[in-house]
Amino acid sequence: MTRSFLSIRAVRKTFGAFVAVHDVTIEVPKGEFLTFLGPSGSGKSTTLYAIAGFQDPTSGDVLLEDKSLLSVPSHKRNIGMVFQRYTLFPNLSVAENVAFPLRVRRRPDAEVKRRVADMLALVRLENFADRHPGALSGGQQQRVALARALAYDPPILLMDEPLSALDKKLRQEIQAEIRRIHRETGVTILYVTHDQEEALHLSDRIALFKEGRIEQIGTGEDLYLRPASEFVAGFIGNSNFLPGEHLETAAGAATVRLADGSIITGLTAAEPFSRGQKVRLMVRPEALSLTPGPASTALQVDIVDTAFFGDRRRVVARTASGDEIDVRPTSDATDPAGAIAGSGRRIYFDPALAFLFPA
Amino acid sequence: MLLDYDRLGWLRAALVGFTAAVAAFLLLPVVFIVLLSFGSSRWLAFPPPGWTLKWYEQLFADSTWIDAALTSARIAAMAAVLAVVIGLFASFALVRGEFRGRQLLRGLLLTPMVLPVVVFAIAIYAFFLRIGLAGTTIGFVIAHTILALPFAIIPITAALEGFDKSIEDAAIVCGASPLQARLRITLPSIRIGIFSAAIFSFLASWDEVVVAIFMASPTLQTLPVKIWGSLRADLSPVVAAASSLLVGLTLCLMIVTALLRRKLSR
Ligand SMILES: Nc1ncnc2c1ncn2[C@@H]1O[C@H](COP(=O)(O)OP(=O)(O)O)[C@@H](O)[C@H]1O
Ligand SMILES: [Mg+2]
Repeated sequence: MTRSFLSIRAVRKTFGAFVAVHDVTIEVPKGEFLTFLGPSGSGKSTTLYAIAGFQDPTSGDVLLEDKSLLSVPSHKRNIGMVFQRYTLFPNLSVAENVAFPLRVRRRPDAEVKRRVADMLALVRLENFADRHPGALSGGQQQRVALARALAYDPPILLMDEPLSALDKKLRQEIQAEIRRIHRETGVTILYVTHDQEEALHLSDRIALFKEGRIEQIGTGEDLYLRPASEFVAGFIGNSNFLPGEHLETAAGAATVRLADGSIITGLTAAEPFSRGQKVRLMVRPEALSLTPGPASTALQVDIVDTAFFGDRRRVVARTASGDEIDVRPTSDATDPAGAIAGSGRRIYFDPALAFLFPA
Repeated sequence: MLLDYDRLGWLRAALVGFTAAVAAFLLLPVVFIVLLSFGSSRWLAFPPPGWTLKWYEQLFADSTWIDAALTSARIAAMAAVLAVVIGLFASFALVRGEFRGRQLLRGLLLTPMVLPVVVFAIAIYAFFLRIGLAGTTIGFVIAHTILALPFAIIPITAALEGFDKSIEDAAIVCGASPLQARLRITLPSIRIGIFSAAIFSFLASWDEVVVAIFMASPTLQTLPVKIWGSLRADLSPVVAAASSLLVGLTLCLMIVTALLRRKLSR
């Protein structure tokens, strides 16, 4: 990345006294698939709308190839956008919908025709050209919307929760399509979702929003394996939180005493803790196992429930202090269900997937 | 539900009977007028002693009737166009606008529908007398536009409320200016509402009689005024023939509306 492509610089948006977006800054290189992830109301759409030009930021700037977009009206920004709601033009056929942005740009007929055919092929809806939007399923409508948004070869494609109205299976299908289209066109995509699995599946990088701020930005692996805060750890992937007390940190390895009295050593602390400080230990369910390991990472538990899911098991364990722990060991033959049940068991965890946060 | 139609029992028969009676009460006078217009009795005797078309012949032979009908149509058409155009602007403001007094404005624009017509008629007549618009086509059109406005605004606001603004936003990111987006996407999408508004405004003016009686001059009469005047002068079956045509045209418009709506909404 030599020269910046899309720069979002200290964008802030307030509605009256309410700050919806707090000075968000992101550099987006060309061709990146960047996802804004976060709970509802965290300012993702507002940030996206500032780029699209539907919301004027209260302060800050948005630059595309070093030129500010803010003084450019929406219809001249040449940005593609797919909305959360179905926004096909109800009075036009599928082909006319895709042709619309080219027609307003007064492109020659032959080019429009060719482009529409290419775009419909891209989203695999060649045979629906003459249908009207009302005769399409939700998934098909969003694919047409995608074709329409890409028809004029925009440098940036914005997508605001485009799949949230679809059922899970369809969502996964279209996610795969979006990945393929991103690969084939190389367009820079800014994608908004509140679904962490979707974000992990699609993105090169994820910006995790919380209350109008970016809590952490990085690859899915960064966020999953190196969460910067308890919020990130809790939002991405599954997690168990166990309350405890920090005893000491020596050579970067922290020791804590959990609520049930067990002592755990060798933990990586995200920040320095003082002696006796209340902390929360987060452990990923898949980092827990029933196969014996070092005693320093063992938890004494009762097994409350087990269930079989084919490739995995789900085991619910409870510590002496009453904290429930979700365990997801792989279901291999050496670990039969019978051996899992019972009280007074030990489960072991991988300290690399355990994180210590202030309580 | 308490009033589940399928579980009403004997009440159901009573309900059907009552509804039929109300419908008959509303429709019978119209049926009588139409029958009488074909009856041969000069004195509107019922049942008619014989059948004839001579009242229609007389009607079409009398240029004052034709003039009145054309005047009505002309005024109604102009009022409808104006009401739809103003109604469109007003509806955008009412549905999309975010300003204080929006509800007040909505109420104000709809008052002609609830205000006693005679009060409105006297007020506007007095005003138009003063500024010299009484008895003119322009005066007629203005007065009828005001009366027709609620009938234009109600269907257009309903259509606009049912139209997702995101669709217009999508047209704008696609490169259409806000005006282009409205003309090429929003208006065609709410065309059923606009069409209903045009028909209802036309009809509101077409069969309006109270304001018309005040505004009419000897040289400028609408069909309802002519009918009313003829009724008072002499009760001839020609009036029945004129009324039947009025009913017929209204019916045609309603049927065309229903058919077009069905076609457009597919
Ligand atoms: N036009 C507006 N007026 C007032 N508040 C708004 C407006 N748009 C958004 N907000 C508020 O800003 C916050 C962020 O909204 P949004 O960006 O839509 O969140 P997200 O897309 O992450 O769910 C929300 O609390 C929302 O209520
Ligand atoms: Mg949103």
